Amino acid sequence: MRRRPGIGGLQTAAAARDQYRLLGENVAKLRTDLMKEQLATFRSQLEEFARKHKNDIRKNPTFRAQFHEMCAKVGVDPLASNKGFWAELLGIGDFYYELGVQIVEICLATRSHNGGLINLQELCMLLRQKRKTDREAVSEDDCLRAISKLKAQGYVTVDEVEGRLSWTSGRATDALDTLLDEGLAMIDDGHKDGKRRYWFPCVSSISSSVGADI
Amino acid sequence: MQKLGDFKLPQFFNYPPYFTLQPVRDTREKQVQLWKDLILDYCKTQHIFVIELEEEFPLFSNPVIERSLSHEARKAFLSALVTEGRAEWLDKGHRKCLILWHRIQDWADIILRFVKDNGLEDGVMTIEEIRSGIESRGTELHGIDRTILMRALKLLEHKGKLAIFKGTSTDDEGVKFSV
Repeated sequence: MRRRPGIGGLQTAAAARDQYRLLGENVAKLRTDLMKEQLATFRSQLEEFARKHKNDIRKNPTFRAQFHEMCAKVGVDPLASNKGFWAELLGIGDFYYELGVQIVEICLATRSHNGGLINLQELCMLLRQKRKTDREAVSEDDCLRAISKLKAQGYVTVDEVEGRLSWTSGRATDALDTLLDEGLAMIDDGHKDGKRRYWFPCVSSISSSVGADI
Repeated sequence: MQKLGDFKLPQFFNYPPYFTLQPVRDTREKQVQLWKDLILDYCKTQHIFVIELEEEFPLFSNPVIERSLSHEARKAFLSALVTEGRAEWLDKGHRKCLILWHRIQDWADIILRFVKDNGLEDGVMTIEEIRSGIESRGTELHGIDRTILMRALKLLEHKGKLAIFKGTSTDDEGVKFSV
């Protein structure tokens, strides 16, 4: 751009700066838009991938762990809610929920032997033994995810347990009342929805005693 | 840590189940103990002597977790304090509770120390002066509940450390020390 002397020259320079700035903003916007589009494409391809490899994800723990990592990279959490695309497609929300309950059962059962502290490998081994009759294999990664999900909520209602584990009515209440009597759960009748909640103060100590960083 | 004014609230205060009376005995005992300690601690630091069950009392609800102690729960915790000798019901209906974050005996000791600190071993003072006079400022006696003060004084009278005398009105009620 040819420099001109005097006020005229200054005005030209200012106008030029404005134009470059505008161009720069447009370029930035374009890049953002492109990136958003790329992410959206990636997400839908991820969903396609999940659909295609549903069985592998369910059956193979290593594959499952890698799948989780891929999801995390684009900000998708298949376990974030029990409703919607991911939960329905993969049905893995329930998988982890049930795992969480089994982990609590194992920790309860081994408490007198290990004083409430169990290491992750042993937990996994016991869990596999417990589940060996059927179903999907379980990895340490799965255990950690299940524990972190339990820890996040901290409580359950009878309805939730019945719904998620397909237990007959009354069975859930019995199980929860047993945990209550064992001193492992506490009741909470104070929620405005009037539903009784069972809280598990032991869960946070389980996740820290399993010796892993969650 | 959550605070009430400048009072630091303990962790359990943010855990919803602690606001429901627990049915299992061992759990209930632990819960009652935590609440008893909290009530005493809070009343001591805030200089609160009386709790009225039906009134708003900051400790009885936690808006952050949207939980409040039921009337039954409040009564249970205060009754536990009464049983332990750290509180007394002021009415038959058990709606008003006097909190003894210092036991009466402790208050008596505090009074004796006050007497010695102020050279009142043979002195005379009105009840009002003991609780609100210049000498009481900066001591725990300042603003003490009248009922508690009278109880402590009567205890000391019984031990021969002082004599309570009545004036023409409650304002003149006083004490002759012989410590």
